Amino acid sequence: MSDQSHAPTDHDLAPGEEEQHSVGTRILGYVVGLALALLLTATSFFIAGTDLVWQPSIPVALIVLAIAQMGVHLVFFLHITTGPDNTNNVLALAFGLLVVFLVVGGTVWIMAHLNANMPPMDQIMRMQ
Amino acid sequence: MAMTATAGHAHADPHHIGVVIEHPGPASKRIVTAYGFWIFLLSDIVMFSCFFAAYAVLSGQTAGGPKGSEIFEQRNVAIETVCLLLSSFTCGMASIAADVRNRFWFYLGMTVTCVLGLIFLVIEFREFADLVARGYGPSRSAFLTAFFSLVGCHGLHVSAGVLWLLTMMAQVFAKGFRADVLRRIMCFALFWHALDIVWVGVFSVVYLLGSAA
Amino acid sequence: MLGKLDWSAIPFDQPIPLIAGAVVLVAILAVLTWVVVKGHLPYLWSEWITSVDHKRIGVMYILLASVMLLRGGSDAIMMRIQQAVAYQSQGYLPPEHYNQIFSAHGTIMIFFVAMPFVIGLMNLIVPLQLGVRDVAFPTLNSVGFWLTATGALLVNLSLVVGEFARTGWLAFPPLSELSYSPGVGVDYYAWSLQISGVGTLVAGINLVTTVLKLRTKGMNYLRMPMFCWTTLASNLLIVAAFPILTATLAMLLLDRYLGFHFFTNEAGGNVMMFMNLIWAWGHPEVYILVLPAFGIFSEVVSTFSGKALFGYRSMVLATMAICVISFMVWLHHFFTMGAGPDVNAIFGIASMIIAIPTGVKIYNWLFTMYGGRIRFATPMLWSVGFMVTFIVGGLTGVLLAVPPADFMLHNSMFLVAHFHNVIIGGVLFGAFAGFEYWFPKAFGFRLDERWGKLAFWFTFLGFFITFVPLYIAGMLGMTRRMQHYDVAAWRPWMIVAAIGMAVLTIGVICQIVQIVVSIRNREALRDRTGDPWDGRSLEWATSSPPPVFNFAFNPDVRGEDAYWDMKARAQQQSLERDRPEYQDIEMPRNSPTGFVCAFFATIMGFALIWHIWWMVILGGLGAWATFVVFAWRDHDEYVIPAEEVAAIDRVNLEERRDLVSMAGTV
Repeated sequence: MSDQSHAPTDHDLAPGEEEQHSVGTRILGYVVGLALALLLTATSFFIAGTDLVWQPSIPVALIVLAIAQMGVHLVFFLHITTGPDNTNNVLALAFGLLVVFLVVGGTVWIMAHLNANMPPMDQIMRMQ
Repeated sequence: MAMTATAGHAHADPHHIGVVIEHPGPASKRIVTAYGFWIFLLSDIVMFSCFFAAYAVLSGQTAGGPKGSEIFEQRNVAIETVCLLLSSFTCGMASIAADVRNRFWFYLGMTVTCVLGLIFLVIEFREFADLVARGYGPSRSAFLTAFFSLVGCHGLHVSAGVLWLLTMMAQVFAKGFRADVLRRIMCFALFWHALDIVWVGVFSVVYLLGSAA
Repeated sequence: MLGKLDWSAIPFDQPIPLIAGAVVLVAILAVLTWVVVKGHLPYLWSEWITSVDHKRIGVMYILLASVMLLRGGSDAIMMRIQQAVAYQSQGYLPPEHYNQIFSAHGTIMIFFVAMPFVIGLMNLIVPLQLGVRDVAFPTLNSVGFWLTATGALLVNLSLVVGEFARTGWLAFPPLSELSYSPGVGVDYYAWSLQISGVGTLVAGINLVTTVLKLRTKGMNYLRMPMFCWTTLASNLLIVAAFPILTATLAMLLLDRYLGFHFFTNEAGGNVMMFMNLIWAWGHPEVYILVLPAFGIFSEVVSTFSGKALFGYRSMVLATMAICVISFMVWLHHFFTMGAGPDVNAIFGIASMIIAIPTGVKIYNWLFTMYGGRIRFATPMLWSVGFMVTFIVGGLTGVLLAVPPADFMLHNSMFLVAHFHNVIIGGVLFGAFAGFEYWFPKAFGFRLDERWGKLAFWFTFLGFFITFVPLYIAGMLGMTRRMQHYDVAAWRPWMIVAAIGMAVLTIGVICQIVQIVVSIRNREALRDRTGDPWDGRSLEWATSSPPPVFNFAFNPDVRGEDAYWDMKARAQQQSLERDRPEYQDIEMPRNSPTGFVCAFFATIMGFALIWHIWWMVILGGLGAWATFVVFAWRDHDEYVIPAEEVAAIDRVNLEERRDLVSMAGTV
């Protein structure tokens, strides 16, 4: 197997691997990521507990913040970039996210319709 | 993918007139291992998505039991979140230390990661134990079933991560920074960061949305 | 001490499973004794059981699938006889036994026949087609195989210790919940699928990584053989869909073991969510099985027509389109459950859309044959038989994708006929085509053509005699899974189906005879060149069976149909005189990790089924320790010296030169 490792690696990166940087730059990347993540987390917790913002917007805001924070983690901790060396990693991620979206979205959508047409047993009981 | 233009072979590839980009051959072991683990992580996230979906469907089914807003304690969740975030950071530091073969910083980073992970687990365990003691165990209602399963599934992953982390520290102690050990450290770091991403979903969807509703 | 396990678990009062179990046990013991007495055990242990060679693991997967095919097939025979005789009577199988049989039949045929068969073929062939020496994770590959075997073992154990599920192959709640199925049957079902599911996931990760990251020099994506593309798509689906199965079964198990309320009728649980989640796995699963078969047909049709595959790029596109769309159609399995017209319409349309790329493939195969010099060898017969059969199955599928029609046909024998039509006509025919086609590559000699053709014709005719009556019975209103019935109009069709089953059985017997005859005549059928079919892709560029390192040199690929291209050039250059120096080759060492890990998984699974908690902990610790021991080893590779590589390679090159010089004269 190891005779296969002479292939050039400079045009393909493992997931989580960074382009060659000095240690200082790498640490800085993590610090920036941590700061951004903490900021977004704090915002989420603040919004959830406050009545300063319009209440119906809170769920949307929380989800947007969560997605943003996942993005921060992906970029600063998992080093997923859009460079050509990362194509395979990003494509795999995109496929995974598509499936997650289909499963969660599909389930919620289907079950909402099912429940509307045929409520679960205990709801029928309550109606009677 | 190396960009080697070999116009000479174009005749064998009728769809590319002119320049053909030749595949350079099998990737290195480090890339292969990490990519395989990356695929595993994606499958793990699909599994989590099922528990998220189940939670979304069942979160309203309290069956006369407590609602989310009645049992969630935001202070605890905030501490848990900060613990995991910091541990993700220290885990990153440990992997940098491993890359530059610095044992001291590696052990330090991994130990802090481990301690933060354990604090997270203790808080979560106490939350669960407290709920069960109050009669709000997972068999109380479908909502609690989904809650315990989703959060517990993440907790199980963190526990497995801690076990893995300790195994990796022991391996570095016994074998040093060998190539295969470094590959495993890289996979562990991916795993730990991915758990943090899942946790972002958990605290946003379960705790914050649950207590806001 | 032993949880729920006691002597009442053994069905002394039921002669059929007891005798069957005893016969199997005696057979296993006889084989084991023979192996030990003949002194083959060390060979088996070091060359097969601990092997991390993808070819050996592939062969073991196929062996497992073949054995389980006989088990699942006997279930099928029993069901057909029961339905032929159980008109206004109880037949010969009591309901609780009949229910176990149809559940076991479905579970075994999907998880332990179809899955291991296609995974085995992919393992065996894909690294060869990609021109590399091994898969991405050789040891994990072995773990995956042995975990699959564990699942199969547990399912068969349920025959004599306890019982199997009586819930159908997907264990729908609330029937599968503790209140309605208090026995261990559902636990056997769920734990064996959980364990073999881990094995399948491992195999999927391994093969995706192999295709994406381990390709020989010049093997660009658009030069990969079709089988590699379908392998990629199928394994992407495994990686994305099997976690859904794991999660869903975990929820069911939590309900059963810890009193959770995911799918219960009480406390707000939602039964429908199980249907939703299990089919979100179940539909991609269909394509996990059939995509590799499509790949096999592409290889076979192209080789035996002597032409490059027609519309290669459209084929790639169709494969990847199926890969994505298969995640958008799962609701068509439960149209009747009341999601309403909006949802049903969208999923119905998506289900019809997925027929388009499949249709593209059919036309591509037809156009590949068009104008080709077709040789009707056995693999080609299976392929043509597939095209005929699969079109019928596909059309009835499109019919079922129309929600109003589905309301009439849901859970009828029509449905049973439909999915057997696509799974037998698609997956099983594909597996047999691949088996006949690549057997010489795996073992170095061809299979007997005469018996192979007999096997094909009996299976092909038997299939239609069995399943066309089921379509008709479905139209007449017969529902599936009936232990007995009182409608006179169904009776003749059930009898015809039973006759068809007999013809199918003759087909299977022909295949067994074919293997025996071929082993006896192996010298006459020997494949010396490594290229018995005048093949086009790289697996034919090495000897049969290939050396452990597959290729002395990683081939340099210049275009599609890599080996065909090489042969064409070699005729002009009289085969590569300018060979560079042979070099040492490093290969992964064999490891008992997979076997030991599966041993502990078996203990753990059995203990979980019977609630023997101390044994669960023991098994878990053992599995973890196995991995730590594996991680601790210092030498994971061994070296094959250059002289040995050269000696092995030269023999094959000589044979091949003769072939090329002969081909030049034709």
